[in-house]
Amino acid sequence: MMYIDPHIHVTSRTTDDYEAMQKAGIVAIIEPAFWLGQARTKVGSFQDYFSSLVGWERFRAKQFGIVHYCTIGLNSREANNVALAEEVMELLPLYVSKEGVVAIGEIGYDDQTEAEDRFYRLQLELAKEVDLPVMIHTPHRDKKKGTIRSMDVSEEHGLAPNMVIVDHNNEETVNDVLDRGYWAAFTIYPHTKMGSERMVEIVRQYGPERIIVDSAADWGISDPLAVPKTAALMREKGIPEEHIKMTCYGNALKAYGQSGQMEEKDWLEKEPIDQTKKMGGNTVLRGGQNPRVDSDSSNIIEN
Amino acid sequence: MNSISSTIEFLKQSLAVVASAESMDWLELQVAKIKADKGSMKLFLSFSQASRHFSKHPMDLPIETLQKAEAIRSGFSLKNWTGLQTARVILVLEAFSEDHKKWFEDMEKLFESADIHEQEALYAALPIYPFQEKFTKRAAEGLRSNMTSVFDAIALNNPYPADYLSEQAWNQMVLKAIFMQRPLYRIVGVEQRQNVNLATTLVDYIHERWSAGRNVIPELWRFLSPFINEEIVGLLEKVGEKGDELEKLAAALACHESDNLAAKELLAKQPEIKEKIENGEINWERIGEDFEALN
Repeated sequence: MMYIDPHIHVTSRTTDDYEAMQKAGIVAIIEPAFWLGQARTKVGSFQDYFSSLVGWERFRAKQFGIVHYCTIGLNSREANNVALAEEVMELLPLYVSKEGVVAIGEIGYDDQTEAEDRFYRLQLELAKEVDLPVMIHTPHRDKKKGTIRSMDVSEEHGLAPNMVIVDHNNEETVNDVLDRGYWAAFTIYPHTKMGSERMVEIVRQYGPERIIVDSAADWGISDPLAVPKTAALMREKGIPEEHIKMTCYGNALKAYGQSGQMEEKDWLEKEPIDQTKKMGGNTVLRGGQNPRVDSDSSNIIEN
Repeated sequence: MNSISSTIEFLKQSLAVVASAESMDWLELQVAKIKADKGSMKLFLSFSQASRHFSKHPMDLPIETLQKAEAIRSGFSLKNWTGLQTARVILVLEAFSEDHKKWFEDMEKLFESADIHEQEALYAALPIYPFQEKFTKRAAEGLRSNMTSVFDAIALNNPYPADYLSEQAWNQMVLKAIFMQRPLYRIVGVEQRQNVNLATTLVDYIHERWSAGRNVIPELWRFLSPFINEEIVGLLEKVGEKGDELEKLAAALACHESDNLAAKELLAKQPEIKEKIENGEINWERIGEDFEALN
């Protein structure tokens, strides 16, 4: 079974995670541009972060056989530093048309301030201009109102609901989001967002149409295997295989594939053999290491 | 160095062999937009969007076309170039205008914000840029990359490093290429840049590897051959005893290239290998290719 985790901040994860993800069947991931925990104070920090999303992290993922895509955007939290946010807005056009950028995101509301609203709207316009889908981050606090407002404003700017993925849904928001024709993504993130058992019940109740499962794993206590684990639980609880495939693979591909930057063949067809891209020569796997495949614990660390 | 316009002309002709007429039309349209743009956004956007119009596969050009590259720039080759990178290089060369300052600023911005394939394109084209001597710091920066394909774009099949890097930067490049197990035979201009400082560092490196119970790549011995002394002969002797087949061939070839008497004697003990070297069956390219095939 192949899985896609369409929301994971792998920049904050270790190579152990990459290995585990690959083993669990994850073939492709999307890393949305987000807040790094530490607020940025200079536009250069954003630039280097965006560059690493289309450069170093993509390279790192490839070492483990995972195809890495990303979304580019100014997150809502940092939109509140208005002077800096203005500079970041000038930077975005440099990145949004790059290969493998599958959406503008994650954007939307956090505290639902005036500044957040302003930069959310500007980025909706940018998405329209470059014809990319939008990944919406819905707020932790005052979630339901924030989610509805995100959709209202998006429609005000003329975006078609099928081009918008509303993320971090729960039982309280899913109805509105699906009813209005949006993609509804669910983040399986312990304690703060969703648990996998609740997710199974949502798929049972609403069916698989336009529902997407992701991990949003980052620097917090989170789980990079949330998608394959949720799929396994669905299987245990009798959810049909076809529904698992849609929610944990197919829907994400369909939604973000609208960018023209993500296709199944990216992971199904291996690249032509190219001497310059051999495993032995890379330096995540330093000096000729092979990716570790054994799982038994031992005190011997390979020389 | 040929003029920019003839370089552009050559790149366009080469690209047209593999790209569709629609893609070439798109490219010409972008060039017109870039030239009309007072700012830089048209260049930045088309540079990225080229991936929607050109292929990432090597162009696989006919030999006659490949040979013409040498006339554009000695040591320059399109052999491993993709259609996409060729299109991107055409765009940045077309963006070159009277306003040199703006072009250098734009190039800096492109380098800074480039994704992996974009970096490959920008670095591989170093030897055909105008004022290429001003890119030495940029080249050294690119060589610090741990993304193999970016490092390769500068270090392999590229005459720029041999022509422009300081001895220190050159040595760092070779050391890193060895560390990353890159195919050293694809580095251009090795003979003209041989130096004793590199050889001394490599001797330390060999000791360090052997102490850790690790091998060194066979091609490394090429960089010691002009400086073989008593100590290095000792190392070569060890390879002769304990090394694998390819390592033994490499050690013999290094001896062959040296004027050191002890090295000559060492080689004389292996008449079969000596003969193969003399009739050209064993050379650095062959050793490099064989090693690549094994790994």
